[in-house]
Amino acid sequence: MKKLLLLLLGATMVHSSYAQFSEFVNNSAASAFTLSSDNNTLQIGGRVSAFYEYRALKSGVTNLDHNGWTPKDGDLDLLGKTSSKFVYEFHISILDLATAAATQNTNNPANPGIKAGYLQYVGCPVTIKLGYDKVPFSQGNLNEVWGTPMWSHANLYGGDLFARRDFGLTLNYATWKSRINLYGGAYSGMGENFFEYGNDASGTFEYIGRAEFCYPGKMKYQPIDEDNSPTPQIRIAVDARYMDKKQPAGQSILANDPDAPGAYGIRIFDGKRTVYGSDFMFKYMGISALFETDIIRMQPTSPTDPLYDGTPASFNGGYIMAGGFVTGLNYNFEKIRSVFSVQYESFNTNDLIAGQQQWVYLGYAYKVSGFNSVFKAEYYIPTEEDKIQNPLKYTGQLRVGYQVVF
Amino acid sequence: MRFVPLFLFLLLPVFPLFSKENKLPHCKFKFDHFKSLNRIPEPSDIVYDKDSKHFFIVSDHGKLFECDLAGNIIRKADEEGMDFEGVEVTDSFVYVSDETPRKVYKYRKNDLSLVKVFSVSWGGAANKAFESIVYNEAKKCFVLVSEAPVSIVEYTDDFKEINRYPIHIARNMNGARWYKGDLYLLSSLDETIFKCDPETYSVKEYYKINVLNPEGMAFDADGNVSVTSDNLQRLYFFKNLPTINK
Repeated sequence: MKKLLLLLLGATMVHSSYAQFSEFVNNSAASAFTLSSDNNTLQIGGRVSAFYEYRALKSGVTNLDHNGWTPKDGDLDLLGKTSSKFVYEFHISILDLATAAATQNTNNPANPGIKAGYLQYVGCPVTIKLGYDKVPFSQGNLNEVWGTPMWSHANLYGGDLFARRDFGLTLNYATWKSRINLYGGAYSGMGENFFEYGNDASGTFEYIGRAEFCYPGKMKYQPIDEDNSPTPQIRIAVDARYMDKKQPAGQSILANDPDAPGAYGIRIFDGKRTVYGSDFMFKYMGISALFETDIIRMQPTSPTDPLYDGTPASFNGGYIMAGGFVTGLNYNFEKIRSVFSVQYESFNTNDLIAGQQQWVYLGYAYKVSGFNSVFKAEYYIPTEEDKIQNPLKYTGQLRVGYQVVF
Repeated sequence: MRFVPLFLFLLLPVFPLFSKENKLPHCKFKFDHFKSLNRIPEPSDIVYDKDSKHFFIVSDHGKLFECDLAGNIIRKADEEGMDFEGVEVTDSFVYVSDETPRKVYKYRKNDLSLVKVFSVSWGGAANKAFESIVYNEAKKCFVLVSEAPVSIVEYTDDFKEINRYPIHIARNMNGARWYKGDLYLLSSLDETIFKCDPETYSVKEYYKINVLNPEGMAFDADGNVSVTSDNLQRLYFFKNLPTINK
């Protein structure tokens, strides 16, 4: 509570942009539309996309259910700004809502159908946002994947290791011509599962902070250099998040909120977790390079927690490490409306369990009208498989599809 | 089997073979020097006033400034808007386009007091509306230019719409200025100044500039060009537009 009050007090001391993580704040689609009154402007937009997926399956695999059509986006976004300097946004995925309803939320509980729902005040030097949105952690999380040739985020920051979105309070202050951009916030810690369970039994928040330095000027969360920057641009950032979710006696996350820990059981658990990250982006003449590393330190409360994998405290030291890095290179060849991307990532999800995952991603996009109407193809190869934590049935995957933003 | 999808993937970039190339006369146009506009956050448009020999600069933060030719602030209008993106000066008045709420503010030039606010209509995306305002002396009308999709919209002196012209020469458009019988348009994404026929708005020639995120441009009395960069919060100074060998 004391930390939350400090965050609120900070608001009185300290300027930044509105709807900073919105995927539609810079919507340039010809088909978007806006309603205006004397006191309010409401933009209505959205995104629709689908791809054909082909997996090169390992011998003996007979289920071909991943070789076929996949709807990716069926999103609707309402972004409003009032003359009294309030901003609000509701971004929903109708596709995810329908899937959750049809499967009683068992198909993909980390995609509840709501991508943003918040109210933000931009009338003072610190913007104050309350609600559900992306959390200010990880450049890869904040970057707009729809504005790249890729169909999905890299695994490291794709949501299985730490939550990408959550409900909470976010403060943002930018200074020195927006070259320095600071974020701080307190969140439920439940991530995308907040709508399924609400808060967990611990009554504590997850705290997240991020500091960015951009030069020579501010940079948007767009990894492709569509400006073909005549001046080199960089952004360097560090971020961290911390939660102590020690459960009260008689309470259990695994029992109360079984979907919340995620595929590897580390998004939230009974105990303390700190995640440190740093990232870098460079843009010049259509070339953009990205690097990000995120390191997770976990201290489950119980020495018999499954995350310790049965190892004694004398061996594990009372903590578990996870994390890795992602690096990528893109080239925007505007003259032929094409974007070429290559990305590599390496990570593990528990250093007490042998295994490492390494992936290579290749992407190509042909922009009929920017990324508002674009053909995208992504090929990814698991160059090293973690056979214990994430056994795979395939050796390569091709996704070819089309995306329209309206 | 593993390499079949990879092979298919590598065949994909054949689309560019169908791309067309722009063959209009053009050349590169490089800036001479720049000045940081430390006290003007997110400067979006600039216009030169031949009477006072000053610039008027507007900011995304809804502020109108009068500055000297070096970019130093002389005074600021008290009445602010939401998202000022375009500015034009005619005789005794300064006109400002407020992009998000689709409004045009008319200020008295002598004391920067507000005279009237007009509503204009643009149904497209909230942040891609009228980024530029310019008086077309050939057709005796105001011209507002939408950022994306790019359209030129003509208005009477009291901002009644006359006509619309969809334009397909650039990915976006952020500035417009009248100079010596031609209308000039500025694209931020393409970092290009287009010289256009003021009657038909067809492009005669274009100039590629080396400024990141240019959003506004002005011609001073000697024809020197000044360009504002929003992201970098800078004012770039150029010489006269070069003559293009056709």
